[in-house]
Amino acid sequence: MEVLLKPEICTIQEVIQETPDVKTFRLKFKDDSIMDKFTWNPGQFVEFSIIGSGECTFCIASSSTRKGTFDCSIKKAGLITADIHNLLDVGSEIGIRGPYGNWFPFEEIKGQNLLYIGGGIGLAPLRSLIQYTLDNRKDYKDITILYGARTSADMVYKKEIEEWKKMEDVNVILTIDKQEDLWFDNVGVVPKILEEKVHPDLSCTKVITCGPPIMIKYTLMSLDKMGFAPKDVITTLEMRMQCGLGKCGRCNIGSTYVCKDGPVFTYEQMKKLPDEF
Amino acid sequence: MAFSIFHISNDELHKLYEDIIKNNETYAPVEHSGDYKFKKVNSLKECNTDAPIKTTASVKPLFFPQTSAIMHYSEDAKGIKIDDPKEDVLTHKKVILGVKHCDARGMQVLDSVAKWDWQDEDWIKRRENTVIFSTLCVTPENTCFCTSLDYDVKTTDAYDVLVVNDGQKKLLKVCTEKGEQFLEPYTGVLTKLNGEGDAKLKAEFTKFKNAFHLKMDYKEVNAKLQGAFENDGWDFESARCVSCSACAFVCPTCHCFKISDEKVRDKGVRYKSYDSCNQKYFTLMAGGHNPRTQKYRRWRQRGMHKFVYYKERFGVNLCVGCGRCTVKCPVNISIFEVVNNVANNI
Repeated sequence: MEVLLKPEICTIQEVIQETPDVKTFRLKFKDDSIMDKFTWNPGQFVEFSIIGSGECTFCIASSSTRKGTFDCSIKKAGLITADIHNLLDVGSEIGIRGPYGNWFPFEEIKGQNLLYIGGGIGLAPLRSLIQYTLDNRKDYKDITILYGARTSADMVYKKEIEEWKKMEDVNVILTIDKQEDLWFDNVGVVPKILEEKVHPDLSCTKVITCGPPIMIKYTLMSLDKMGFAPKDVITTLEMRMQCGLGKCGRCNIGSTYVCKDGPVFTYEQMKKLPDEF
Repeated sequence: MAFSIFHISNDELHKLYEDIIKNNETYAPVEHSGDYKFKKVNSLKECNTDAPIKTTASVKPLFFPQTSAIMHYSEDAKGIKIDDPKEDVLTHKKVILGVKHCDARGMQVLDSVAKWDWQDEDWIKRRENTVIFSTLCVTPENTCFCTSLDYDVKTTDAYDVLVVNDGQKKLLKVCTEKGEQFLEPYTGVLTKLNGEGDAKLKAEFTKFKNAFHLKMDYKEVNAKLQGAFENDGWDFESARCVSCSACAFVCPTCHCFKISDEKVRDKGVRYKSYDSCNQKYFTLMAGGHNPRTQKYRRWRQRGMHKFVYYKERFGVNLCVGCGRCTVKCPVNISIFEVVNNVANNI
């Protein structure tokens, strides 16, 4: 066990200030042979640690189709994330264990329309799958990305969103909660825009969603109203984790280990879990 | 595979124990102001293998220490250096004497979580390298309910060797291959019993079983609890809990842990240590979201994990009925009462 809990050292290659409180860290293992062997599927997570401060769980926000480095987008929210924001810079060394958990069913959703619904920092886990599906574009049909944030300043991956907008085969819908100067896109919360602007073909569309709990709650209600089957809605759950190996018991919901059986669940599976939230 | 049952005189058993202690790293219950603790012993005089009450803490720390280092590290201008471990302490062979069968069963139950998916090598190595001698309790304590659960004290192979009183002699039952191999050098002092051994053991077990104060119908409780997630009994039963976690630390089967870092200047250690679902911070996430803020939610997790979730996942009940949590609880909450009351609160 203790051996499994030992991290490998990574060096920070690049730090991107996405929003006032979100930074993306581009990471690479110090030992190249580990980097070569390191592979992951979209939706999996790693245990990210500042040696001396402690460990936190973050999803990998980039796709394994873009090898060489990997990204973690981190919001300053608690003790360790504050340290991550304040202490780390390009060249800093951190510890990484992983990848852990299951992943988005990228094989099973081949040949389907994909509807991504993200809110705030919730775009990070989706970005991994978005990049993967864009790199394997011919395997998937229409791709729609609906992304909302509180304000335009709170939107992550702004540069990349601009690139997605330019792509002819990707439909990007952006929204913010309240009107701002020089904002020419939609205004309103994600579920509202979803019902107004998205008209999916229910027979062959998969929804992949991630965002704050309150957004997820109302988005699932809207999706229900639109007629989506619970098995076609895929999301990733947030639960405090520590070991990531299905041992420490922290992420238990009922007899489910979120770190091993998840974090990716369909809405159908989620409904069967005890109502802890 | 059937294993043998032997007769051994009390004197010979003492000699056998002495010999074991002399030749192995041995742990046994040692008395301290009326309480018993598992400690390393150098002679039989120091310990009591027939301790009349269970040890304060379970035998768990010998397999899953309260704190154990994951790595030591140091930092300098060149970066972070993780030290290589010096010695593999896990390969040490150990013998534990006087383990109550609830404790032994607890370790067996935890094998399931250690061995699913990722293999907890440390646990597995410690288990493999330890021989457990169990003693059948003469009288159960008021908090014990091991005979009411989903395992049969009579047939369990959670321990390697079982010692049972039989008048002026002792019955010695070998329960595993490890136990058989371990006892091989001592076969000279053992008298093998044939048919009558089983009957004698059975009589002792029946006597033991009938002495129990707490009894419950496990199947019924388990079935009722499966639908008890929304039961308001949890609220009532947990009202006086002070969230101290003493129950989790003395429990043989509580296995939740946390990982912490402690660093002073440029040197530090990362270690894992016990944690408990009774603590509010246990599921607190950065940003303030916490699915178990209320006490009843945390107690529900504790009760349901012990009696429903683990059984659902791994096929065995997590609670082994040792009653330590009840003994150590400062406000006298008994898990036996909690699960029974919730199950019957419809």
